[in-house]
Amino acid sequence: MVSTTEAGRDRKRPSFKYSIEAKGPILLTVRAWWPPVLWSIVLLLIVVIVMGAGSLTMQKTLIDALIKLMVVVGLYVFIGNSGILSFGHIGFMMIGAYAAAWQTCCPKTKKLFIPGLPDYMLTHQFPFIVSVVVSGLLAAFIALIAGSVLMRLSGIAASIGTFAFLMVMYSFYLRWDPWTRGASTMTGLPVHTDSWVMLAFCVIVMFGAFVYARSRYGLSAKASRDDEVASKAAGVNVVGQRLLSFVVSAFIVGMAGALFGHFLGILTVDSFGLPLTFITLAMLVVGGMQSLSGAVLGAIVISTLFEALRQLEVGFDVGGTLVALPGGGREVGIGILMLVILIFRRNGLTANQEIYWPFRGDAMAKTAMTRRS
Amino acid sequence: MGYFIQVIIDALSLGSLYALAALGIGLLFGVLRLINFAHGDFITLGAYALIVPAYGPNAIRFVADFHPVLLVICTILIVVAIALISEFLVFRPLRYASAATLMVGSFALSYVIQNLIIMIYSGRPKSLDLWSVLTEIKFDVSGVDIALLPLLIIAVTLILMALLVLFLKRTPWGVQMRAAAEDFKMARMLGVRANFVISLAFVLSGALAAVVSLLFEVQTGILTFRMGTPLMVFAFIATVIGGMGSLVGSVVGGMAVGVVSSILQAGLPPEVRGYRDVFVFGLVILVLLLRPQGIVLSRAARERV
Amino acid sequence: MTTLLKVDNITVHYSRLAAVRNVSVDVSEGEIVCIVGPNGAGKSTTLLTISGILSPTEGTVTFGTKNITGANPENVARMGISQVPEGRHVFTALNVEENLRIGTRMRRDRGEIEKDFNMVLEMFPVLAERKRQSAGKLSGGEQQMLVIGRALLTRPKLMTIDEPSLGLAPKIVDRVYEVLTDLRNRMGLTLLIVEQSSERALKAADRIYVLRSGQIQLSGNAKDLRDGEKVKQAYFGFTEGVKHVGEVAF
Repeated sequence: MVSTTEAGRDRKRPSFKYSIEAKGPILLTVRAWWPPVLWSIVLLLIVVIVMGAGSLTMQKTLIDALIKLMVVVGLYVFIGNSGILSFGHIGFMMIGAYAAAWQTCCPKTKKLFIPGLPDYMLTHQFPFIVSVVVSGLLAAFIALIAGSVLMRLSGIAASIGTFAFLMVMYSFYLRWDPWTRGASTMTGLPVHTDSWVMLAFCVIVMFGAFVYARSRYGLSAKASRDDEVASKAAGVNVVGQRLLSFVVSAFIVGMAGALFGHFLGILTVDSFGLPLTFITLAMLVVGGMQSLSGAVLGAIVISTLFEALRQLEVGFDVGGTLVALPGGGREVGIGILMLVILIFRRNGLTANQEIYWPFRGDAMAKTAMTRRS
Repeated sequence: MGYFIQVIIDALSLGSLYALAALGIGLLFGVLRLINFAHGDFITLGAYALIVPAYGPNAIRFVADFHPVLLVICTILIVVAIALISEFLVFRPLRYASAATLMVGSFALSYVIQNLIIMIYSGRPKSLDLWSVLTEIKFDVSGVDIALLPLLIIAVTLILMALLVLFLKRTPWGVQMRAAAEDFKMARMLGVRANFVISLAFVLSGALAAVVSLLFEVQTGILTFRMGTPLMVFAFIATVIGGMGSLVGSVVGGMAVGVVSSILQAGLPPEVRGYRDVFVFGLVILVLLLRPQGIVLSRAARERV
Repeated sequence: MTTLLKVDNITVHYSRLAAVRNVSVDVSEGEIVCIVGPNGAGKSTTLLTISGILSPTEGTVTFGTKNITGANPENVARMGISQVPEGRHVFTALNVEENLRIGTRMRRDRGEIEKDFNMVLEMFPVLAERKRQSAGKLSGGEQQMLVIGRALLTRPKLMTIDEPSLGLAPKIVDRVYEVLTDLRNRMGLTLLIVEQSSERALKAADRIYVLRSGQIQLSGNAKDLRDGEKVKQAYFGFTEGVKHVGEVAF
């Protein structure tokens, strides 16, 4: 499967050759960057509508959904490019979230809850944006260490390895009382993450993921995904490229974790377990694992569905009687949707393709769009 | 001395539970290359089969009040039925998918089952007293009380393993299963029915899960919708440590994980004791790297080299 | 002679690549038919399509009067086609006797099984000696005997064999072919053999097909082609020559 990137390049090259189709440099750029541009516009519209017309609960839901979207884009950077299924990325989210707490909680709270921090950390407080980036970097650093071990494995063994990684991090944080409050709730994170912040971060990581996927490094990782032996023979450093995509994706997911911490203001280790792993993986699978459009679309579809089913759980009036879906019903719905997609549309809603520039009867763009490989 | 015996017995009984659960996972992996995340939920469902499906806060006894023999049979039948339905609805359509897709599929199934339990029984833990007399009977061994239940768990495990070995070695169905586990295509070309062998594997896996759920329920006395998950996680890493695709490996791995965690629990200094699971899970990564085929090299793998 | 197996114009794809295009093969009862061709010609693909492991995108496979296109491998086996695939595929986790008996499970004529079992052991005394040993411990030649015996015990109407000479010493290959011809002569077993060596095929077969690049280049009676020149041309693909030969052969 030499999918999206090849089609993308084929389309891009002629657009420079045939100047008739080029409508000036701005439009050309927009067209070349269409998938992240398109999704940025979509997200902007969603945010504007919800902020304008949605209830407070709905706005909260939106922020939560955007955080998950960011995690899924991070997952896509690794899974989509390397082809290895990861069950461990929520571990990076947890690392990022707690790292944010170490930086931004006020010194009083820190002394009370997490006295194990070094003195400098205990007494200082760092700005929000700095803490998000530093948290991402910490997650990336841990990914570098763990990945240099895990990425030597391939296929199902690597997936099992990432699962073990999640379990290691989870049980470690659950017991690391002086730094994480262990099984208790860590409170006191300043709440900074609103819809606009999340929108900005989502747009940035979407463009970042798109750039990475099209870069030399992303292409090498994809080559190793499609045929490990052949790409090794062609001189691709398979372990190195996988490791790079692992680190980049951990950086994104780690930042999402920090934003998550600054959204809720409280943290429990328990929330970074298998259920969250499942939901984010389901988003990626439903959308299509091997394209950015798939990751974003999957996140949007599942979040919307989740919210709609939540309304059903709250219940609605049918001729005087309250009809409601019992608790757990929406999770069942999402799980079944994921199974249906796995069984009937294994490449996800987007069939692993990017969504390309659809306007102006551009012949080359059309061939690129209809080309399925 | 007495303390020592107690640690050993506890370690072996924990290892036995893991080994039984690991066998259930290993059987399916052998035949289908499926890593079944939902195995833990089969175990959970076995325990929930004991009570009336009702949303209330208290457990209403149902199968739990049956005669013990009937109770065991009913639980096994229910879990086996669920395993077969899962096979039919989820794993049969996914049969030719990659191992990773199968793994995701079982993950989704597990999520669905857990939330179905929440829908039907509510997410609150329910206490259910089953044969608690087994935990109360104790023997006095050099001044230390040894409970009957751990000994029973070990005994049941040994009996089940012996039965499984007999089945696989001595019956034509068992031979077909071993053949299919080694080379599914060739077995089919000799007339071995794929659906039959796979269903058989699910039946055995479900039956083992049912036994685990009963033993575990007796031990804990509490039903929660995620009670099987830790068992599945440890059993899963046991199959990885022991060697995926080898049933002996599953047993050895299960025992190893149980014994290692018990010994770490007893032997680690108190300040790091809490990190026990970190070491156990770290072990998996170590095994994957140093000995990806597991401790026990499956016969097929060894002789093909 | 009635046609037992009719492969009619099949095309088989691996994802989008056609490995076999418009291939037709007929096998009549009691015949030994050989398909020869170089590596990657589509020989194994053809056999795997007959046994139901692969499905053709076009064309049909008929066995006796039944259309078995795209049937399950186990059902194809149960109808009476037994395949000995390339690389032998003994079950190393099973002992020799278990290997032999596994294919007998689907038989309805229970009474005949023991007779056949003893016959196979007589035919291959080495297997009788090692009944309880793991099949993985046998030598390559012994494993080849084992899989032929195993296929025989399903009491097939048609046996298909993929490269029986692969990885075996020439002496042992002679023995394998001796056994195969003997099976036909004594029991009337129909055989469809895939072989890389055209000489070997010409010696053993009644009729041969030459397959190259997924297409039949030449077919005919082994007797008529015994000098081997035409076969060689078809096999190696000297294009003008092949066209000519092809026309003559049909």
